[in-house]
Amino acid sequence: MTALLAFDGLSKDWFGVPAVTDFTLGIEPGSSLGLIGENGAGKSTLMNMVGGVVAPSSGRMTWQGEPYAPATPADAARRGIAFIHQELNLFTNLSIAENIFIDGFPRRFGLIDRARIAATARSLLQRLDLDHAPDTIVGELAPGERQLVEIAKALHREADLIIFDEPTTSLTPRETARLFDVIARLRAEGRTLIYISHILGDVTRVCDQVAVLRDGRLIDHGPVADFPVPRMIRAMIGRELSGLFPDRSATPSPTVIFRAEGLGQPGVIETISFEAHAGEILGLFGLMGSGRSELARAAFGLDPLASGTLALADRPLTGPTAARIAAGMAFVTENRREEGLMLEAPVADNLSLVAVRAFGRGPLALLDREAHAVATERARAELGVRAGRIATQPVKALSGGNQQKVVIGKWLMADPRFFILDEPTRGVDVGAKYEIYTLIDRLAAAGSGILFISSEVEELIGMCDRILVMSRGELVRAFTPPFNREQILASAFREAVT
Amino acid sequence: MSELPPAGITPRPDIRAPAARPAGADLGQRVRALLLSDYFVLYLSLAYFLALVPFLPTLSTPGNIVNLMSNMWPLLVVAVGQTFVLTIAGIDLSQGAVMGLTSVVVAMLIATAAPATVLANAPIWGSLLTEQGGLLAGIPFASAVGIAAMLAVAALVGLFNGLAVARLSMPPFMVTLVTMIAVAAFAIWLTQSNNIRELPESFISLGKGDIVSVYLGPKLESQLPRREVYSFITWPMVIALAAAVFAHILLNRTVFGRWVFAVGINRKAAEISGVPVARVIVTVFVISAVCAAIASILYTARLETGRPTLGGGNFLLDVIGATVIGGTSLFGGKGKVIWTFFGVLFFVLLSNTLNLLNLSAFHIDMVKGGVILMAALLDVVRTRLMRSAT
Amino acid sequence: MTRLTDIALRHATFLVFALVLLWFGLQAPGFLSPESIANIVKQAAFIGIAAIGMTFVLLTAGIDLSVGSVIYLAPLIAGFAMRDLGIGVGGGLVVAVVSGAFLGAINAAAIVGLRIIPFIVTLATLFAFRGFGAFLTGSQQFDFDADMRAFGLASIGPVPLPIVFFAGLAGLAHVVLTRTAFGRQIYAVGNDPEAARKAGLPVDWIRARVYVISGACAGLAGFVVIAQIGRLDAGFGEGREFDVIAAAVLGGASLFGGIGSALGAVVGATLIQTVRSGLVFTGVNLYLQPILMAGIIFLAVLIDSLRARRARQLKRRTIRPIDA
Repeated sequence: MTALLAFDGLSKDWFGVPAVTDFTLGIEPGSSLGLIGENGAGKSTLMNMVGGVVAPSSGRMTWQGEPYAPATPADAARRGIAFIHQELNLFTNLSIAENIFIDGFPRRFGLIDRARIAATARSLLQRLDLDHAPDTIVGELAPGERQLVEIAKALHREADLIIFDEPTTSLTPRETARLFDVIARLRAEGRTLIYISHILGDVTRVCDQVAVLRDGRLIDHGPVADFPVPRMIRAMIGRELSGLFPDRSATPSPTVIFRAEGLGQPGVIETISFEAHAGEILGLFGLMGSGRSELARAAFGLDPLASGTLALADRPLTGPTAARIAAGMAFVTENRREEGLMLEAPVADNLSLVAVRAFGRGPLALLDREAHAVATERARAELGVRAGRIATQPVKALSGGNQQKVVIGKWLMADPRFFILDEPTRGVDVGAKYEIYTLIDRLAAAGSGILFISSEVEELIGMCDRILVMSRGELVRAFTPPFNREQILASAFREAVT
Repeated sequence: MSELPPAGITPRPDIRAPAARPAGADLGQRVRALLLSDYFVLYLSLAYFLALVPFLPTLSTPGNIVNLMSNMWPLLVVAVGQTFVLTIAGIDLSQGAVMGLTSVVVAMLIATAAPATVLANAPIWGSLLTEQGGLLAGIPFASAVGIAAMLAVAALVGLFNGLAVARLSMPPFMVTLVTMIAVAAFAIWLTQSNNIRELPESFISLGKGDIVSVYLGPKLESQLPRREVYSFITWPMVIALAAAVFAHILLNRTVFGRWVFAVGINRKAAEISGVPVARVIVTVFVISAVCAAIASILYTARLETGRPTLGGGNFLLDVIGATVIGGTSLFGGKGKVIWTFFGVLFFVLLSNTLNLLNLSAFHIDMVKGGVILMAALLDVVRTRLMRSAT
Repeated sequence: MTRLTDIALRHATFLVFALVLLWFGLQAPGFLSPESIANIVKQAAFIGIAAIGMTFVLLTAGIDLSVGSVIYLAPLIAGFAMRDLGIGVGGGLVVAVVSGAFLGAINAAAIVGLRIIPFIVTLATLFAFRGFGAFLTGSQQFDFDADMRAFGLASIGPVPLPIVFFAGLAGLAHVVLTRTAFGRQIYAVGNDPEAARKAGLPVDWIRARVYVISGACAGLAGFVVIAQIGRLDAGFGEGREFDVIAAAVLGGASLFGGIGSALGAVVGATLIQTVRSGLVFTGVNLYLQPILMAGIIFLAVLIDSLRARRARQLKRRTIRPIDA
């Protein structure tokens, strides 16, 4: 049988630095390939070559037996290859139907045939169980619904190969379940899939083949039945991981460092009270939309709070964000690129942003550049950020894991006593995750309190002293070790299940 | 994709990776270093100057250089203010109008006399301004008080701009467009579009100054016996350079400067990191307006006239053009006072040579347009070089 | 209560419009007479026609500062063509529009071909076009023949010609923007150019065309108003780019792209003209008029930003039912 898409010795290097090396693999029609690898393993470059964004340096691809060398993304689309990206390529100011037809409207008397696009869109939406009118503006849809619109686009183009890139990162569990239903249906229709994800359990569930990339090379591949998760991890990182989490190096003290009492904001959160102890890692688990990030933002003074009080080390915490930072609070945002970093600015300037005031001397607050250089370099070393000259290298040139370390690291110079970490390991590969966990443990061991917010139960169980569960804007339950994964999930689903 | 290649080599369909470097890579490297240098626009200005001197001997005469510099100083101060605003990804269209208003303000306060025939219809006539001059005429330190009033008025306009942008989240372009229209109209209304002359000597001297002059012997060709004296170090020079140096330190060497860049690069990240974003924005707009007021001092003193239309016409586009030629980005996060200094130098040199070539105003406009375009094109090239360098 | 604020914010320009009409109507009842209103719309055609073109540009998150100079140069070229080639006023009109489009194409070439940002390109051509115009005339006033004025003052039935052009263009632009693939793709490019590129849309070509359209509209606007005056002064159109942008923004166009409409531009331009005429009608000091104009623009922009902020608040997910 001819492969639908075959790679033959495909390589790509950037100015002599190899990104993908000698990649050879055939994808059978109707199969579903899980493509996994750490960040920087070459998955994007590979997919960019398939999508016509990047031209290979050597090697070739064939599509249905014919040589395939797309020059533009449109070329790839014409051949029947569709991408469902993590960042969706939808136009939020246009309707669902217009998004589906944006690159080729059917016309009538030179004008868009609105009746026809509405009818086609409606039938596509029905196939995907998406209950919206075709003229609904996409900006009004939830993330999961938008993704279905993206899939509708692929279906409309009769795509033979659909490539999913981290499709579940921003979905609620219910939306994820619906997506998997749709994927199952696509497979039943005989479409071929490539599924890229860091969530290995999902790969096991969705795919029948697995291919592992490391340092741009195909390390291992085979049927999913032969690929238990440990084998995937071993292939990805090239070594056996003794444990996914570091051992905790200290136990929490009885001193309460942070206290929230009766926090409320109509429509968002309701009567939230909790205490965090010095040296404690307090987990906060909740599904997307449970109000966990909203709670964090309100506690940090970024969003309004109608009622309740906060205290840090028994001192009331009020006022704007800057005042809370001065009081010893830190907040690591879940949105690294948009809210966490100044991507264009050097690593050093990012590291010192929070504490930059401390380097001011005299009435003009002249920057003590020497002290600044010393302090930022020390911070870099402590964090283990792998970078070149931090005074000049822009932070955007770092890998995702190193960027995330900078996001956490910029708080360290301000010496905070209470951290709120919102999804600190999102979009970070296995190796870097471990380093970030180690960092969190060190912060706790140094006596800081930590509120660790995550949607991955496993990492909370692996790292936390206690776990709070949030649902519908309320704290529903608190867990202490030994943790029970099922119980935590069940309480988080409290209302989603019924 | 789940992970992006380093941004420096982000593939874009329109930019193919450059081919392997040719053998003359050394020269290529040097051209590249030159293009990426902070002093690039300075080199460009010098090259332009040297290239034209053989054809335009007057260009290098002391008289012309004095003239060139005296044109440069006020423009420099305004452009320095604009640099701050552009660095936070804003724009200030109201600087020219602020110059007009502050010019009227100081004149109506300190003028020593005013003709009723010209100004009797002005709303300020009789209260602020009379035949005997302005409100402060004759009191000690009138000029100083008048200047303080200029700065205060400018700061108020800047405060309004800043608050509208920071607190009401209105787009800077529209806010300052509105203040430009309103402030300019207000200045014209105050005097019913008339100029106020008869400014006191203590104020006018700020436009000249004669701190260090060069005596080049008696002027022979002249009909009247005149000494050829050129003032090289003047009050405008001292004031403008002081302002520029102060601004440079503020932007590059202080905590406030870090904050300005942080706001320009990523406002949300700055907010979350505890940068007092609103205060930074307001301060930057105040700085911009105050710079305009300082330039207004220099212009008003030089013209010996309070002129409501000062800074009108295309003046502001000159300011933005000069700033951007220097290398400051309209998208924020990228700006240097020294760049602006060279940008202004180049712009003034250009206007000067075009004048010397006896080109008419319309030719000058055309060339100016072409030069702005060339500068922008160079910036595109430099940005690409910078990208491929990282 | 909140619903009411929502509605008020959404239709802010109309609300301001109504208040302005009411205010001037109370001040001087003659202001609301049909002749007076028709006159306002006729005068609004000038800025309005250019603002419709500007809306296309703003929709792609671009800007065209050169319109003030195109408004001057395009009718001038038409004037020379009419004088030297003996083409009639109709031919002149075509020349004005075509040369406006050509000037827009120069902008487009620099923006798309050389990848220089629109602000700088059109700032440069603002100087260059006006300079070229002054070069052609030697900075002198240019006088048109009498039939030019006859054309400018003509009307089709009871409708004056400028209104015919204004309405016709508005209708055409509305159809293009809402009902054609090109129109919808303009919105797509303004919303997310990167996604548009990935979707295979001819992003550069779309961007290029909006500047051509803006230039053509500015040429038409200039010709229509010059036809009413009969002569072209050297400073004609100077600074008008700001009026044009203000009209488009008042009409709901966002400077950040993706939002705006042709009919909005019509409303914005008419609002500006209404205020201007109203101030003259009620005898406000000539020098104070711009201040009040600025106040109105400020109000509209303020309301627009309040609306955007409110939209952001509404987008923030409500997680639980809001109890009273």
